[in-house]
Amino acid sequence: MDDFERELTRMMRDSRQQAPFAPESRRRLYDGIRARRRSRTLWKAGGSALAVTGLGIGLALLPATGSRPADHRPLPATSPTPPPAPPTPTTSAPSTSQPPTSTPGTTMSGTTAPGYGGTPTSPPPSATPGAGSRTTTPRTPPVSSLPPTAPPSTEPARGPSASAGDASAGSG
Amino acid sequence: MFERGAVGMERFRADGFDEFVAARWSTLLHVARLLTGGDRQRAEDLVQEALVKLWFAWPKVAEQAPDAYVRQILVRMAARSARRRWWGERPMGELPDRPGPGDFSSAVAERSRLEAALALLPPRQRAAVVLRYCEDLPESQVAQALGCPVGTARSHASRGVARLRQILSDSVRPVR
Repeated sequence: MDDFERELTRMMRDSRQQAPFAPESRRRLYDGIRARRRSRTLWKAGGSALAVTGLGIGLALLPATGSRPADHRPLPATSPTPPPAPPTPTTSAPSTSQPPTSTPGTTMSGTTAPGYGGTPTSPPPSATPGAGSRTTTPRTPPVSSLPPTAPPSTEPARGPSASAGDASAGSG
Repeated sequence: MFERGAVGMERFRADGFDEFVAARWSTLLHVARLLTGGDRQRAEDLVQEALVKLWFAWPKVAEQAPDAYVRQILVRMAARSARRRWWGERPMGELPDRPGPGDFSSAVAERSRLEAALALLPPRQRAAVVLRYCEDLPESQVAQALGCPVGTARSHASRGVARLRQILSDSVRPVR
């Protein structure tokens, strides 16, 4: 520490003024504390209200967004059934229309169908009627449409093979 | 009952807090004044805000090092407020009196000179110089208050002192 630094230290310490903690300063300090506490409380209340609102909105939207894929999932599951279907003995005509319809959905069929070995038993969610079911009805082999899963009571007028086909289309 | 408990806790907190503030008020005000380059109003505001923050942290800090906590807040707030606004020039209705030679206020003049020189330093250099030479803190604590490595704090202090040496020698140099 050289002379200048010593002088600097002296100047800094000598310039200190005694300022007691007056009641006015104390009052001012506690006013500041109260104001700060109020603002903190408001911030906390606002933050928790926002959090609750956000959670509510999130929970309200979550089921809606979650149901969409569930709705769409059955549709591709119905179309893919044909590709693995080697049994084409009975109905030869519909087999011609297979390639165009089944190609887009082959990926999905690869996941679901192989396990059943080309005999789509009963995936219940696909029971919804739609265009997909119509296209697949002729493709499904009548042999595989054994009664265990097919609800025959829905279409009594048709023959056994047709009803089974409908059922498999609906299911598969 | 809960209210009474909260009030009792506040009173308990206020006891130690009040004692601390009463004991350190003068020093804190002085340090804040040096940190702000001699601006008394701003120094009071800084001390007030630092103590308000200390109040909320008091249960955690009281047993450890409330001095270091307040010092750190003061340094950071002084640097932030220096960045935020221009404090160098203030409009005044009347010009302040200049101290005459041999006046009893030579101490005041010296203080003003020091504060004016400090005001010309960058905030971090100023803080390092004030903490090192006024508060007589070791370099490690200066670094802690500045929130930087010890080497950086040392560099800030040495550069600040060099700049102050230049400014003060210029101001003392006689005018021809």
